[in-house]
Amino acid sequence: MEQLLAALLQLFEPTHLAFLFAGTLLGLIVGILPGMGGTSGLALVLPFVFTMEPSHALAMMIGVLAPTTTSDTFPAVLMGVPGTAGSQATVMDGFPLSKKGMAARALSAAFSASLLGGIFGAFILSISIYYAIPIIMAFGFGEQFLLVVLALLMVGALTGDNLFKGIASCFLGLIIGSIGTAPITGDPRYTFDTLYLLEGVPLVVVGLGLFAIPEIVGLLDSKGSIAKSLNTKKGWFTGLKDVVKNWFLVLRCSTLGCLVGALPGLGGTVVDWIAYSHLKQTTKDTSQFGKGDIRGVIAPESANNAKEGGALIPTLIFGIPGSGNKVLLLGGFVLIGIEPGLDMVTTNLDLTYLMIWSLAIANILGAGICMGFSSQISKFTLVPYYILAPVMVCLIFFATFNINRDWYDFIGLLSFGIIGITFKNFGWSRPALLIGFFLSTKVELLSYQTQAVYGLSFLSRPVSIILIILCLATIVLLTKQKFDSNYRSDLIKGKLTQIYYIIILLCLPLSMIWFTSSLDYRANLFPISLSVIALLLLVFILFVKIADLKNLPFLNNTLMKFARSNIFEISGNFNNQLFYYLSFIGFLLMNFIFGFPIAAALFINMFILFHNRKAYVSSICISAVLMAILWSLSSLLTLQFPNGLIGLFIDLPWWLGGQLN
Amino acid sequence: MSLFSFVSIGNAEVNFAGKTVTWVVPFKEGGGTSRFARFIQPFLKKYLPGNPDVQIMHIPGGGAIKGSNYFEKNAKADGTFIFGCSTSVIVNVATGNPLVKYNLSEYRPVVLLPQNTHWFTRSDLAEPHDLSKIKERKLVLYALKTPASADLFHIWIYEKLGIKGAKPIPGLSSSGGYQAFLRGEIHLSSHGAANYVKKVKPEIEKGKVVDLMTLGIIGADGTVTRNPLAPNAPTFPEMYEKVNGKKLEGDDLEAYYAIGAAWSQASKAMMLPADASDEIVKAYRDAAIKMINDPEFKAKAAKALGPFPLIIGEEAGEIIKKAAVFSDTTKKQLNAALKKHRFTYRVQ
Repeated sequence: MEQLLAALLQLFEPTHLAFLFAGTLLGLIVGILPGMGGTSGLALVLPFVFTMEPSHALAMMIGVLAPTTTSDTFPAVLMGVPGTAGSQATVMDGFPLSKKGMAARALSAAFSASLLGGIFGAFILSISIYYAIPIIMAFGFGEQFLLVVLALLMVGALTGDNLFKGIASCFLGLIIGSIGTAPITGDPRYTFDTLYLLEGVPLVVVGLGLFAIPEIVGLLDSKGSIAKSLNTKKGWFTGLKDVVKNWFLVLRCSTLGCLVGALPGLGGTVVDWIAYSHLKQTTKDTSQFGKGDIRGVIAPESANNAKEGGALIPTLIFGIPGSGNKVLLLGGFVLIGIEPGLDMVTTNLDLTYLMIWSLAIANILGAGICMGFSSQISKFTLVPYYILAPVMVCLIFFATFNINRDWYDFIGLLSFGIIGITFKNFGWSRPALLIGFFLSTKVELLSYQTQAVYGLSFLSRPVSIILIILCLATIVLLTKQKFDSNYRSDLIKGKLTQIYYIIILLCLPLSMIWFTSSLDYRANLFPISLSVIALLLLVFILFVKIADLKNLPFLNNTLMKFARSNIFEISGNFNNQLFYYLSFIGFLLMNFIFGFPIAAALFINMFILFHNRKAYVSSICISAVLMAILWSLSSLLTLQFPNGLIGLFIDLPWWLGGQLN
Repeated sequence: MSLFSFVSIGNAEVNFAGKTVTWVVPFKEGGGTSRFARFIQPFLKKYLPGNPDVQIMHIPGGGAIKGSNYFEKNAKADGTFIFGCSTSVIVNVATGNPLVKYNLSEYRPVVLLPQNTHWFTRSDLAEPHDLSKIKERKLVLYALKTPASADLFHIWIYEKLGIKGAKPIPGLSSSGGYQAFLRGEIHLSSHGAANYVKKVKPEIEKGKVVDLMTLGIIGADGTVTRNPLAPNAPTFPEMYEKVNGKKLEGDDLEAYYAIGAAWSQASKAMMLPADASDEIVKAYRDAAIKMINDPEFKAKAAKALGPFPLIIGEEAGEIIKKAAVFSDTTKKQLNAALKKHRFTYRVQ
């Protein structure tokens, strides 16, 4: 009770509210940009929050996370493009509604459903925290090990377009995560004697590389926006009425969202589809679905905001992230010194409540801003990508540098950038890769700890058996729903590239085995077993791909059909995206020569002018505004700009990259 | 003659007016060393001559090596750079980590903040302050983050107390280890003073957990006294005597002093670079003495820093030297304990 009050007092401190508000605004913007979601948003703010007070940092992070699933409705309804992965189902009916001229109705229904869902999620979370202690005490090493493994398998199975590619993505993530110091013996693994790899690539760099960079090149590739400006005059009230009328649907879908969100490994990626199919199964008249039924907007939107509360449960009490953005949230916890686990419901309970209520308030703020300023906010969808993209690239580089002030992080960023681009294009799972990467050390340690305490007997403990049954049931149910009649690889060109790509992927496990085989068995058992499984999966996928390419007849039995669905995948023009990616490398070189401030100004102007010769006024203004923001940020937070080669010869002032002080 | 007097006056007047003091902390924000620095920061500004701004610069990474090496390379000796040291910074040096580029034993310590370690177990496994039942067990599991850290000392401690079944579970932080202890998965656990008060005391009051011993508080003359937070619990030397039937002496005592210096006495420290002049060191030490007499400091220190008084002055330098330079016999003892538990890691 005391902690409840303490949290309440802290919640309404002006500075706390200010950071929460700032985070919410940022989250709203990130949600509107198609493709950019909470993961990229959090990755962008993380390098800056760890210089703040922990409670402020927490407010900022929750602020960024909560409203992305509210504002992502703008592009979903107006452009037919999901703003985040959580609003894919909203497009189904939201976009047709907007084409019928009922965009305002769809938006207002979506926002109020989001609001209710979000608050419901926070409510459930605050109740379940009371019952967390016995659950935590019941989860020993063995149960935690199972929970992590099952979470990984679920993510792999459900976020990939193809079951096997998803699971393989998971294992590749685990292998990459095992690079660095072996936790048991301290032996360096796969580090090539570099301090950088010894530490492992920072999580934020991996997050930005895997999520932000591919989305930016994807946006550039898809070219200009197709949104029409929003007519806000009519339909707002209708949308509200729709939600009130369908209150029971909101309640059902929020509960569903909360439950699915709480399943570790599942949160976020599929919840909108689950809500949508629940809606379809429970309504009699399904004729309007896909053509503009308002319930098709309400169901996924209430579910995808409710899941945030649910997904925080495994995140806070077990440190097991439910989705990509929770991985980054956990990374943020580490930065500000919060350790998930029992402490979160005992000694740090005030922090937990602070988070829950911040979540609720951020949801209210987010929905309120979206409704109140919808016509202004919707203009964001009209900004051409060639203006947004260079600004975002500059922000990403600035954020990356401020994690460790380490130039190697740029190489890490661009390496994971190309992995992200190829993964996205060829239908591999980026969330699975990220979660695998994050959980790798935990899996390795838990496997040793479980072995030391229980041996194999942990499998026969009651909680373990429940977990295994729960997981198998979920996977069977959901894969059935997801992979039904999904075969479309006939339409895809450039299949040979994707076959070569697997051969490149094979190099990772092979070289891992090669380089770690000489180490102590306690240092190499984990990476080598992972590599062997990854090899088997990759070879199988390669085999299915080749068979699919040659159209071999034995693929037509049921099982192989399943393996074959979406085995090839392409989104957008890969070569185009590669071209944009190369321009980022150019930007890195400019940084190296001139230092960040000059390089950023040059890059923005060059990039915009390359796409539109006449836009020099806006290019100069935008670069000036961005630099002004970065300068004020860096003087507020004592951050430093990367200094280039010329800085070695000329003593530059700090605002051009020189030393602080 | 005039030149000479000019120099001596110039040296005597240490003044930081208008300057910024950079306090390098080789850990992330929010950790113990960061909190220590944050607590001291305003008092330092208040009492250093010229009231300089004090900014804290966090450089985490590489098990504190990155930030420590940064300090060694970039710190100016004019008093505008200070270093936030902790047990792990010292252990990196004492165990001969090849990546260490900082010459810690020559640094000029200003303030040391001691800590103390408490050992405890579940009440169904042993009587309070009594190891005999623990020693009979075939398997006694305990948490060990990594042998390349201060946790290494646990291996030595359990070895010297003759706990044959002791088996470390790797990769468990002290808070993760404590959770596993409460779940009943591991048998022995330990905590520093702050967490002992916050997390362990309530469990002792409930009767679920019993005290075993504390590391003990080592005085300037080498005498060991009991920890005021658990006055009934024996210190390690007392426990050693009870178990082995002889006083802690010789090589074992030497190792205990070294471990105690690194782990307990110099748990957190504020230091100046090795080449800082005596005047600057004196200015800092004077400021520290004024600080501990500040009524505001007195009011808040016990809660923020724990019950143990700060160590200021030459004594601090001796402790750091003892902690950072392990003798060959101490290293041999630690390595023997490591080898016994099949760790590949060795103290160099």
